Amino acid sequence: MYGFEAISHHNGWVAAATGACIVFAGLSTLAFLISQLHKLVNLFDRPPKVTVTVAPPEPPAAAQPEDPLDLERTVERYLPLIEELDAEFVLADLYALAQKYHLPHIHLSIRTLVEAGRLEPLGDGVFRFTA
Amino acid sequence: MDLFLQFLGNTGFGLVDWRNLVMIVVGSFFVYLAIAKKYEPLLLLPIGFGIILGNIPFFKGFGIGIYEANSVLHYLYFGVTSGLYPSIVFLGLGAMTDFSFLLANPKLMLLGAAAQMGIFCTYLGALALGFTPQEASSIGIIGGADGPTSIFLTAKLAPHLIGPVAIAAYSYMALIPIIQPPIMRLLVTKREMRIRMPEMRQVSRRELVIFPVVGLILCTFMAPASIPLLGPFFFGNIMKESGVVDRLANTARNAIIDTATIYLGLTVGASTQGDVFLNPKSVGIFLLGAVAFSIATASGLLVAKFMNLFLKQKINPLLGAAGVSAVPGSAREVHMMGQHADPTNFLLMHAMACNSSGVIGSAVCAGILWSFLMG
Repeated sequence: MYGFEAISHHNGWVAAATGACIVFAGLSTLAFLISQLHKLVNLFDRPPKVTVTVAPPEPPAAAQPEDPLDLERTVERYLPLIEELDAEFVLADLYALAQKYHLPHIHLSIRTLVEAGRLEPLGDGVFRFTA
Repeated sequence: MDLFLQFLGNTGFGLVDWRNLVMIVVGSFFVYLAIAKKYEPLLLLPIGFGIILGNIPFFKGFGIGIYEANSVLHYLYFGVTSGLYPSIVFLGLGAMTDFSFLLANPKLMLLGAAAQMGIFCTYLGALALGFTPQEASSIGIIGGADGPTSIFLTAKLAPHLIGPVAIAAYSYMALIPIIQPPIMRLLVTKREMRIRMPEMRQVSRRELVIFPVVGLILCTFMAPASIPLLGPFFFGNIMKESGVVDRLANTARNAIIDTATIYLGLTVGASTQGDVFLNPKSVGIFLLGAVAFSIATASGLLVAKFMNLFLKQKINPLLGAAGVSAVPGSAREVHMMGQHADPTNFLLMHAMACNSSGVIGSAVCAGILWSFLMG
C-alpha cells in the first residue's frame, strides 16, 4: 500500500497532527513557564516589605567653641589632670598629660591658668595649683 | 595445494562480497571527511572506522560479526539496541548544555518546536512510500538532526534499521554546511538576515538550577516515553548548574560521554555490514533523511518569519534553522550566514538557545512517536 491510501490506512494524518500539536503545546508551555521563572525567583529574593517609621535624627547641637581664655572652664578641665600629678609639678608633665587626653589649646589654657595665678610658680620650672 | 586454497577461501580475500567493498569505500570516505575535512570528526571517525571494521569479510558462525550472538561486537552493540548509549550521551550532553541563552529569551524555544515539523512530514512521506509506521517514525526522527535520539527510537521501533538511520542521521549532521545554507538563502531575505537580536539579560543561578527540574517534569509528564533521554539530560544539566557536584559533572561531560560516543560510533558503523545494509530500503532512508532535514530547517525558518508578523522586537529568521538539534553545527552555520550578511551581527549565542531547545524538542518527539506505536 502506497501514497495517501497508506497514510490514511495507518492513521498517519492524525498521528502527525497530534504529535506536532503536542510538541508545540509542550514547548510553548515550557517557554511560558521559563519566561515567568525570573519573576518567581525575584519574588523569593525580594526582602519582606515591613514599614518601619524611623524618626529623623535630631540635628546635632552646635558644638560650643572652646575658649581657652575662659578661666572657670579651663580650671574645670585641668583640675582632674593636676590631681593626677604630684602637688608640685613641672609644666611639661601637665602639658604631656593634657596631650594624652587630647585637650584643645593646651598652650593657651596653661598660660591662662598661670596668668590668673591658679598655677603658682615655685622656681626652677616647678608649679603648684592654688584653689 | 588444496590446504592452501582452502585457507585462501577462508580469508577475507576469498570471502569478500562486492557489497563489503562498497561499504569499505564508504567507511574510508567517512574517515577521510573526518580527518582531512574535519567534518564532525568526533562522530565520523568512529563511524567510518566502524564501517570498515564491520565489513571485513569473516567466516560466519564463529561469533565474530556484530550480528552473531556471543561476539564481542555483539555485546558492545547491546548498548545501541537497548538504547543505553543514547541515554549516556544525553547525560553528558546535559552536563555540557548552557540554558542561560534560552532562559534569557524563552520565545526562541518555539523555533526548536517548529524545526520538529520535519519529523512529522517525513513520517507521512515514509508511510506514503510503503514503510510501516514503526519504520516511518524511525526515518522521520532523522529530521530532528539528533543522532542519539534517532538511534534510540529506531532501536525501540525498528531495530533492523539502526544502521541506515544512524548513518543517515550522522551524515546529515556532518553535512549541515552543505544542506542548510541554500535553504536559508532561499527563504530568508538579505534584509532579514541583518536583523540584530537584542542584548540578553543576565540569568540568575537560581533560574538555571530550577529549569532542569521544571523542564523534566513538564516534558516527561507530556511524553513519558522520553524519560530515558530527558531524564539523564536534565540530570546532567542540574549537576552542572548546581555547582555542588562539579566532579561528577566534569566526568559526565568528558569521560562518560566520550566513552559512550566511541562505542556508539564504532558499533553503529560496524552494524552496516554490506549484506544487511545495502538494500533499496537504505537508499530510501537516505533520501527521506535528506528530506526530513531540509523540511526541519525550512519549517524553523518559516515559523521565525511568521513570529515576526506579531513581534515588536523582530527576531532574525535565520535562527529558525538552528531549531534542529544538531549542536553546535547548525548554530555555527546560522552565525556564519548572519555574519556573511552583516559582519557585525553576532547570532551564535541566540542560535545556541534554539539548538538546546531543539534537543529537548526532538527527544519529546521521540517519546511521542514511541508512545503512539509501542506495543
